[in-house]
Amino acid sequence: MSKPDENKEEPALKGTFASVMLLGAFIVVTWIGVFALFMARN
Amino acid sequence: MHLHRLEKIWLKFGISMLAVFLIVLGIMAFSMGMKPPSEHHHTVDPTKVAEMAPFDNPGLNQIGKNHYEAVMTAYAFGFEPAEPMQVPVGSKVDFIVTTSDVVHGFAIVGTNVNMMIVPGEISHISHTFDKPGEYLILCNEYCGTGHEYMATTIVVQ
Repeated sequence: MSKPDENKEEPALKGTFASVMLLGAFIVVTWIGVFALFMARN
Repeated sequence: MHLHRLEKIWLKFGISMLAVFLIVLGIMAFSMGMKPPSEHHHTVDPTKVAEMAPFDNPGLNQIGKNHYEAVMTAYAFGFEPAEPMQVPVGSKVDFIVTTSDVVHGFAIVGTNVNMMIVPGEISHISHTFDKPGEYLILCNEYCGTGHEYMATTIVVQ
């Protein structure tokens, strides 16, 4: 007998993945921007 | 616990981003001496600021070659010394600032100098002025009806 999980279909997370990565990219870009400004003014 | 393959990727991404930010912060703190301006925990009685050294004689003192110390007091609504301070290009200035009344701000436009001046605390910050010009020092913490008049300058030439 298999676990009930294994019979379930994987949820489609492609769209979620794309939006998480877009948000992550936004955070990285703004962080680098602020950091570069800070270093330039130092 | 079962995790989706994509979920694992974004969790790794998020955790490594946090790790990178914290590592950069740690390196800056130890290699560049980054710390909050009031970290020294020097305290002063705000009602006796004008009588206590060094705030009884606010102004610019040379403490080394191209190294100055600016002792300043923030009050409603201005800074002591009120007249513009002058330093040569390339000077490092250690600002030592306190307040004789309420909370004020101390920001030098176009630089990273930006700190709160809290009653009873002495805030320290250093900046090296590599470009000549007239730098505006202002209060960016709303302190009362005359807040917008609270400014002075430092001239770098």
